[in-house]
Amino acid sequence: MLFFLTSYSTSGSDTSKIIAPAPITSTQQQALAYLKKVDTLQQSVYWPHVKPKLLLRNLKSNINNPIGIYAGKGTNFCGYGALTYLFLQDDPLGYVTLLVQLYRDGQASFGDSYFEPSDPIKQEAGQLKYKGILDINPAEQMWYLTLADHYKGYLNIFNRKYDPGDENLFWASVNYAKFNRMTRKLLHYKVNARGADIVRPKNLNLFEYITDKMLKGKVVLFINNRIVHKKDHITIKLAVPTHFVVVESISRQNDLITLVYWDYGRRTLMQLSTAFFKRIIFGISSFTKPTTDAQ
Amino acid sequence: MPNKTNTVFLFSLLIATLLSCSPRNISTRYYFQNEATLDRIEESYKRINAETPFNIGFSNRKFSTISLEIITDTLSYTYEFDMNEPRLTDTLLKYGMNAAGVTAIIRQMQSIRCAWINESDYYVDGKKHSLILMSVKPVALKRPFVYAKYYVLTYFPQPQYFDSEGRLLQKRKLNELRKINGEIFRRINSKVCYTISGRFR
Repeated sequence: MLFFLTSYSTSGSDTSKIIAPAPITSTQQQALAYLKKVDTLQQSVYWPHVKPKLLLRNLKSNINNPIGIYAGKGTNFCGYGALTYLFLQDDPLGYVTLLVQLYRDGQASFGDSYFEPSDPIKQEAGQLKYKGILDINPAEQMWYLTLADHYKGYLNIFNRKYDPGDENLFWASVNYAKFNRMTRKLLHYKVNARGADIVRPKNLNLFEYITDKMLKGKVVLFINNRIVHKKDHITIKLAVPTHFVVVESISRQNDLITLVYWDYGRRTLMQLSTAFFKRIIFGISSFTKPTTDAQ
Repeated sequence: MPNKTNTVFLFSLLIATLLSCSPRNISTRYYFQNEATLDRIEESYKRINAETPFNIGFSNRKFSTISLEIITDTLSYTYEFDMNEPRLTDTLLKYGMNAAGVTAIIRQMQSIRCAWINESDYYVDGKKHSLILMSVKPVALKRPFVYAKYYVLTYFPQPQYFDSEGRLLQKRKLNELRKINGEIFRRINSKVCYTISGRFR
């Protein structure tokens, strides 16, 4: 048996109980006040299929409920979703000002990143279909497409220009180095990465390491999701990571690890044996505030 | 001359055998041959899922390991059990679910090699709708040298629109195919569609 759950026990070292709240860059209130100021936003000439009212409603909903952001069914947007989930928690004002600027001007800068999405992206945003709730969330469509258009990794070499449907293909894929590069550019965190696309982190007590990093900040895991959530019965599968999840809490009792993680608009609790945990994890990215890290 | 007749006969037999196992043929027959069981699973699932949302699947080829996901307002709980494990019933009871009903669904799923059932959302003109998706792995689709295939059914709560080839459409007036999990579906009746897929979910 690969993973199992008896009853959710909070005994052992439960990180959700002992993490001190880290300082944040901006607040939800600041972001909501900004959105109130721009509520007369006009239809953008750059994003013809994104209605301003829907965009603002989507942004407000993301600020109020970051857990609900959704990367879309069947897309390769999970890495962008994990990044956005962290972005929304730490700097909601930065997120909304960036998205509103992108909508209004068709381009935007944030830190030392400058986004100028290509025309096919601007035409497609607001029109993605059959992706679940992403269908009615134009802000997320605009943002994920812009990120995929802007940041490139080796997985995107053979498909660099967007064509409709590419959100499900290598055009949108995120390898581990690309994910860490994006987060270093956009998030106000010091990012530390262990692991790689093909090789698992070595000489590391995963549970101890993740617990330690959780105490100081946020942790994202790069996992082989194909053996966690099986979609077919093929027994021989390439051991490669395919999915990014944000760790919410982790605890251990004997050989059983209880992991609560965020992905696809909700939190999931799963209990795994130490061996299976080791088998699925390829990358551990930790995010600490410079001040927290120094303590 | 007899040799030529035999060759033609054997060749025809081979073609007939291959065609009888083809996905298209399976698809048109399978639902009606198993209609009662399939509809019973869908009905029971719909009833219990309305009280506590959940998904069920079989995660191994022997159809002996159950993958269960219980969805609450705050958390989704992912479980894996062996068939007949007492922990399964204990867990279902813990969440106040109809344990007898869920275990009956599991038994029915196993009996027809139904690999997965869940409720899925889709949007038309900004409005949320839902469907029930069920995947079966019929023995007849398990041919040598053929990638594992699943017979995927979708149950809609209301009649759908189809083109002249029986393909599921997004809307009546819009001649655009609706894809579910990236697949094009075909009509079985006005509310039930099918496709053949390499994935069960």
